[in-house]
Amino acid sequence: MNKSFVQRKWHGLIKLSKDPLLLSVIVVLTLALILFIIYPLLKVCIVSFQVDGRFSVKNFTSVMTYSNGYYMKALWNSLWMGAATAVIGTFIAYIFAFSLTRANIRGQKFFNLIATIPIISPPFIGALAVVMLFGRNGFVSSTILGMDNANAYGPKGLLFAQILTFFPVAYITLRGVLESISPTLEDAAMDLGGSRFTIFRKVTLPLSIPGIASSVLVLFVESLADFGNPLVLAGAQFPILSVQAYLEITGMGNFARGSALAFILLVPSVSAYMLQKYWVSKKQYVTVTGKPTQSSNTMVSNRARWALFALCCLIASLIILVYASIVWGAFAKSWGNSALLTLDNFRYVFRVGFESVLDTMVIAGLSTPIAGVLGMVIAFLVVRKKFFGRRFMEFSSMLSFAVPGTVVGIGYILAFNHSPFYLTGTLAILMFNFIFRYLPVGVQGGVAVLSQIDPSIEEAAIDLGAGSTTTFRKVTLPLMIPAFFSALIYSFVRSMTAISAAIFLVSARWKLMTVQIMSQVESGRIGSAAAFSLILVAIILVAMAAIKLFLRLKYHTNSSILTR
Amino acid sequence: MKKTLLLLLVVLMVLAPLVAQGSKEDGSAAKELVVYASVDEANAVKILDAFTKDSGIKTSFVQLSSGPALTRIQAESGRPQADVWLGAPSDNHVTAKVDGLTVPYKGAAFEALGAEFKDPDGYWRGFYMNPLCFGVNTTSLAKRGAAVPKSWADLLKPEYKGLIQVPTPQASGTATTMIYSLIEIMGEDEAFTYMAKLNANVQTYTSSGTGPSKGVNVGDAAIGIQFSPAFFQMKANGQPVEIVFPTEGFGFEFPAASILKGAKNYEAAKIFMDWLVSKRGQDVLKATGTYFYPVIADAEIDPVMPAFSTLDVVGVDLAYYSSRKTELVERWVSQVLSAKK
Repeated sequence: MNKSFVQRKWHGLIKLSKDPLLLSVIVVLTLALILFIIYPLLKVCIVSFQVDGRFSVKNFTSVMTYSNGYYMKALWNSLWMGAATAVIGTFIAYIFAFSLTRANIRGQKFFNLIATIPIISPPFIGALAVVMLFGRNGFVSSTILGMDNANAYGPKGLLFAQILTFFPVAYITLRGVLESISPTLEDAAMDLGGSRFTIFRKVTLPLSIPGIASSVLVLFVESLADFGNPLVLAGAQFPILSVQAYLEITGMGNFARGSALAFILLVPSVSAYMLQKYWVSKKQYVTVTGKPTQSSNTMVSNRARWALFALCCLIASLIILVYASIVWGAFAKSWGNSALLTLDNFRYVFRVGFESVLDTMVIAGLSTPIAGVLGMVIAFLVVRKKFFGRRFMEFSSMLSFAVPGTVVGIGYILAFNHSPFYLTGTLAILMFNFIFRYLPVGVQGGVAVLSQIDPSIEEAAIDLGAGSTTTFRKVTLPLMIPAFFSALIYSFVRSMTAISAAIFLVSARWKLMTVQIMSQVESGRIGSAAAFSLILVAIILVAMAAIKLFLRLKYHTNSSILTR
Repeated sequence: MKKTLLLLLVVLMVLAPLVAQGSKEDGSAAKELVVYASVDEANAVKILDAFTKDSGIKTSFVQLSSGPALTRIQAESGRPQADVWLGAPSDNHVTAKVDGLTVPYKGAAFEALGAEFKDPDGYWRGFYMNPLCFGVNTTSLAKRGAAVPKSWADLLKPEYKGLIQVPTPQASGTATTMIYSLIEIMGEDEAFTYMAKLNANVQTYTSSGTGPSKGVNVGDAAIGIQFSPAFFQMKANGQPVEIVFPTEGFGFEFPAASILKGAKNYEAAKIFMDWLVSKRGQDVLKATGTYFYPVIADAEIDPVMPAFSTLDVVGVDLAYYSSRKTELVERWVSQVLSAKK
């Protein structure tokens, strides 16, 4: 058995060596993945397990004992904050997704749009809005409710901001899950005399359990990795691991302890990711029916429908309130003091930050297509070719999903700060970071599409007399293109809104808008932070509209992750 | 053929960032200056714009708090991405000098500067001063029905619970200045006991030294402890802000500037350093509305600011304290943050 394994690999190698070009592509990509994904992570591990050039766990014991267990408290806070965000966020998302797919409530398109808006938001928006709405002088807490001791800082404010930021991710997952469960199953159960609640309990809920578990784990990973919200809202009194790792490195210059903290952060997020990828996602149910899954769907009673409608309205109005407060903050003369409107904040942004607007567009604009194409190439190799290291290529290219940005940022400055890879302060380091950080989206999309395109479709075209070029151009390409552009939009959005890794990599020549926003937020210039955020959202919307228009004109499709 | 193209494409893409790197660097010709600014962003813009107007030298900057700036300069040692480090309390510049990250330069304006504001070897020069103070939003405080605090001791009163914003020494030089001067005023153990008690009234610790003033500005906090400029500015705008210099005494900062070793625009950096402490450069502090105190006697100050000589400031031995910084910050984290509310 062992021998045949070796033999198979050997034959694979022989076969590959006959195709040197393919071999070279594989080698180049594998080396790039090792250098830009594995090596920085390895650096974090090495630095955290090293004292004076020798292996040691001293950094970890010093982290554990630091200041009466301050960092242990940070670990505990991060973990329960992640768990709470995951559970509550998924719960709300499930209600929302259920209402939109099962309850047949009014205004479905509107609710769907509202629920997906937070995905294109710059970081800090949730945190800013929490301060503006629920702080001491907040619109809701002070102006409406007349409280004089509201406090937006600390666990409650942070939890609210994180749920708001991440619940759309859960919503999109759960909506997909609920849509794939055929309503005819529920109809059948109803015909057999089950009560509505029994049907929900015995049919709908059990079928959506894997989706719920998957969404909980994904949200847990996202919440652990979050940097923007805790930086503003957690403060020193409620330490959060990702922020403390950042402060330890940039504030105190202690790379060893910062790396140890990053390593500690890495463990739960990678575990949760593995659980999701290799266990939960294998348990997804798909209910297959031959006919279109139209249903008269009477599963939700009228009274329940109204209750769900009211709940959706409540959630939607909270989201609208958040964005309204950002718009208001951007145009208010002196937020909290005067209601006069002004363009001063935008003037300030263009004076101080215009360069960063251009830089951000250059960096995101250059790295997104590269990430997209490389992702497709990797997907192609992984799905259609057999070679030694194929699994490694798939695993390492997807790894960025699991690794918090803070850890990646620390890894990059440790790995690329001296020869032979001296890259700090350059455009290159930012581009490498973005390309390899958002590669997984392209790979995932590409794999999904390629494994769905049955070769028989292409064969059919050939049988009908089309040449192989025509087949590729008229059949394969149009099938792949929408997924490619979906990936492109997603990685563009993520590049534009990234902060946690990028904060370590920006320089005087290459600035990012998100980092500028952070500098505004840190020194409390709320108006200009809000103005910056609006400009960022506008750029993203224009880019998305452009890509969609292009798709519609050229390929007559509409597909995009945000409208599906 | 197709595959050769594919290979070429992949290799190009993996290497593209390296190719892209060169393009922007070429633009950085002679008359340019790149600055790491640990001065508040809005004020960095004012000072650098005035310099550009006077000298015709184009400037660009990255705003970084003192800690992150020092870390980055250490990380880039010998190959700095900037020419000048502008701002950050002078003890940071002492560290940079000791670590060999900066180069000495004197010039005429430097010689004229008071000895307390400069490094005898010419490595760094202070270019403005700011006292610590309490900025009080009187509208917010009136809502609570509390009186304006006059002293450090007053701040412990229960009526100020949840009203005070202070920067954290984990990231901010303002906060370490506060700790050092409280130790001078009260003694070390008493200072920490005091800050642990104060913790009960603190709403949040901001990561930026100018964070509290913005909280006070929008009424998110009623009292902010930090350096005075932002509060003077609010007062000059006619906002309901009172500036309190605590009766027990208070620390002050005199941020400095250094030229980084390996600066690409060394000539421009020298011109900038001369300009910074010249009469012209010091008058800019008032003319552009920074509300900083100048370091030379004959420069002008804004009428809302009391003369610096009338203030009861406490000086500290920065070399001594900065050598103990890590230890003091750790004590702050363990003793102050974990104090019962």
